[in-house]
Amino acid sequence: MRVLLFTGKGGVGKTTHTLATALGAAAHGHRVCVLSADPAHSLGDALGRPVGARAVQVAPGVVAREVNAQEELDRSWTEIHRWLRALLREGADELVAEEVLVFPGLEELVALRAVREAEATGEFDVCIVDCAPTGATLRMLRFPDALRIFMENFFELERRGARLLRPLVARTQAGRLLPREEFFDAVERLYGEVEDVRQILLDETRTSARLVVNPARVVVDETRRSFAYLCLYGVATDAVIVNRVLPPEAARGWFARWAAKERAELAEIEASFPVPLLHAPLQPSEVRGEPALRALAEALYAERDPADRFAEARPFRFVRTGGRTRLEIDLPGARKEELEVGVRGDELFIRVRDASRRVALPASLAGRAVARVRLAEGVLRIEFEP
Amino acid sequence: MRVVLYTGKGGVGKTTTAAATAACAAARGRRVLALSADPAHSLGDVLGERLGPEPRRVAASEVRGRPLVLDACEVDARAEMERHWGAVRDWLVAIFRYQGIEETVAEELALLPGAEELSALLAVEAFAKGGAYDLVVVDCAPTGSTLRLLALPELARSAFRVVLRMQQAIASVVTPLARGLLAVPLPDAAVFGDADALFYKRLRDLRRLVTGPRTSARLVVTPERMVIDEALRAHTDLALFEVPCDAVVMNRMLPDDATREAFFRDWSRVQTERLEEVEARFAPLPVLRAPLREDEVVGVAALARHGAELFGRRDPGAVLQTGPRLRFVRDDEGLRLELPLPHAEPRGLEVSKRDDELWIATGAQRRSLKLPRTLARASLRAARLAAGTLVVRFEAARP
Repeated sequence: MRVLLFTGKGGVGKTTHTLATALGAAAHGHRVCVLSADPAHSLGDALGRPVGARAVQVAPGVVAREVNAQEELDRSWTEIHRWLRALLREGADELVAEEVLVFPGLEELVALRAVREAEATGEFDVCIVDCAPTGATLRMLRFPDALRIFMENFFELERRGARLLRPLVARTQAGRLLPREEFFDAVERLYGEVEDVRQILLDETRTSARLVVNPARVVVDETRRSFAYLCLYGVATDAVIVNRVLPPEAARGWFARWAAKERAELAEIEASFPVPLLHAPLQPSEVRGEPALRALAEALYAERDPADRFAEARPFRFVRTGGRTRLEIDLPGARKEELEVGVRGDELFIRVRDASRRVALPASLAGRAVARVRLAEGVLRIEFEP
Repeated sequence: MRVVLYTGKGGVGKTTTAAATAACAAARGRRVLALSADPAHSLGDVLGERLGPEPRRVAASEVRGRPLVLDACEVDARAEMERHWGAVRDWLVAIFRYQGIEETVAEELALLPGAEELSALLAVEAFAKGGAYDLVVVDCAPTGSTLRLLALPELARSAFRVVLRMQQAIASVVTPLARGLLAVPLPDAAVFGDADALFYKRLRDLRRLVTGPRTSARLVVTPERMVIDEALRAHTDLALFEVPCDAVVMNRMLPDDATREAFFRDWSRVQTERLEEVEARFAPLPVLRAPLREDEVVGVAALARHGAELFGRRDPGAVLQTGPRLRFVRDDEGLRLELPLPHAEPRGLEVSKRDDELWIATGAQRRSLKLPRTLARASLRAARLAAGTLVVRFEAARP
């Protein structure tokens, strides 16, 4: 299954392009699943018909759903659920027990699981995710790392504690409140599932991000940073969609100067992203509903299959030359003073401006010191001591 | 001291509007801090400067040769976790009875869910209380994330109550037995009490900050259907969390010259309809208008001009509109609660009561509201929506 992640600065047209791409892919014979992972869902607004937490067919070959944390909890994770219900038993009605479960991070977790679920059904060739604006999308991609920190630092400790205490407190008030072993198993399973999704997202042959951008300075600046952050997290971007380009017939009168400025921005975009650009002209009215979305897909992809891989790059790679291994990360536009690289045990810590990541090093590199860090031509190269 | 939060759907011009508000207020003699709470920071792009977690004077802050007090910063979860390390550490020790916390660094905690929202709130609070500014203008993340931010103090309270309850029960029954068995030392009951007080008090303070009389949210919209629909939902949700809204900014209005172009005929017809709709539906909130500009508004001088056009003779830092707040009313039928919920739909609205908490859900958002002591034992009688206000009636507990 191909996974396409649509992201970009807010308001650039992510949802519109997610849906246009879905309709285009379906027209090429793919079975398409559209997921909205933006808590401020707008698939329904863009289609002009409601879409909910349950998958609905919105066009021939296209199924859509808006991922909803609450709904997801109702459907699964019985163990965790059961324990929390027991904990709140006295006087707790069902509603309250469920409300409490909407904890921070849940939205990211649920969105990631939805991708895995779409794959597990075997019913789809393409899964297109309408992501939240850049900041939240990065948080979603970082979630597996955050979960790992939790598992390593807190989870094992809790589990060990519970195991030791269980026989002691079996008949007491606390015994009832102590989570059962099944609870810990459930959390562990969950962790495994998130790891599975991470594998899908980091596989550039399966997953591609598409960044939507408008020809405006502030948007281009942010998108350039997002591109680098995606590379840092190991997610390959295969195209940048330039949305709302003034068509020649619109670039007159009051808009003539606007068009001149826009040309400068387009040149800037051209120079900023080492992947193919797809252009979508500003439409004569709001893009809403299926016919308008199909017209947009036509303008964007023409004859091409939207599910194709538009660029082959692998942004985060270990390269072996002359018996030595180095790590290379594509970071176009990054500046030296924005970078921080360090080794902690068998992990590498990398920070690029606002984004950071801890990378588990392969066994062959574990414990090696960093010999040299070099940033040249938009590529960060980290060499290790032999 | 005033706090003004700007939110709205992504891409509507929140950052530009927030920066223009700050620049305009500074040009009119206020001491102003512009703070970006959007993890995808773009405040620096608009001001034309690199910003960091500490406020710094915006270099080009002068208008007509007069220096301005205009500072700016971007909240950074890692920096904030380091700043508040002591308190954060105490909470974690109590909550996870985790004594190995010293080995965990602030940087790792900054990656945990909720850390960004907490950091932003702590930063706003610190600068708001610091006394160095008359006005703090916050550039929030797009709507969904902003609501997470504003809901965090209550959400955290519920989530941690569960954990604390479990830990407390275990500690009180088991600790004496278990001390010798576990490699990890268990804290005694006193520690829970301390952390409980510390944690709740902090959260209550943060909540008071976002719902207090000196804080206002402003919704930024453009004349587009999807944008307005999202703003209407956001207005309801902000009201649910008692964050008062004092204005709507209608951004990117096509200027008259532009509406005459043939290609834009449909866009301009639609925008007139949308403006009327926004004015009618958000009334009595003032709708401030800003035109689409052929130049992107970048730099302090351009921002101050943009702000002057937006606010005209209004004070950018003033409370532009006050409306009804949550209140409890006693009448012949007993006590009732009234919570304004503009644009809320009866469908999807759920109200329930548990002990001293009232749970209210409006479609996507839900909150627990702590009831006054007199209502803790009363039972829920009826809840209904009337003219944009939720009215909940209670039945007094029988003696």
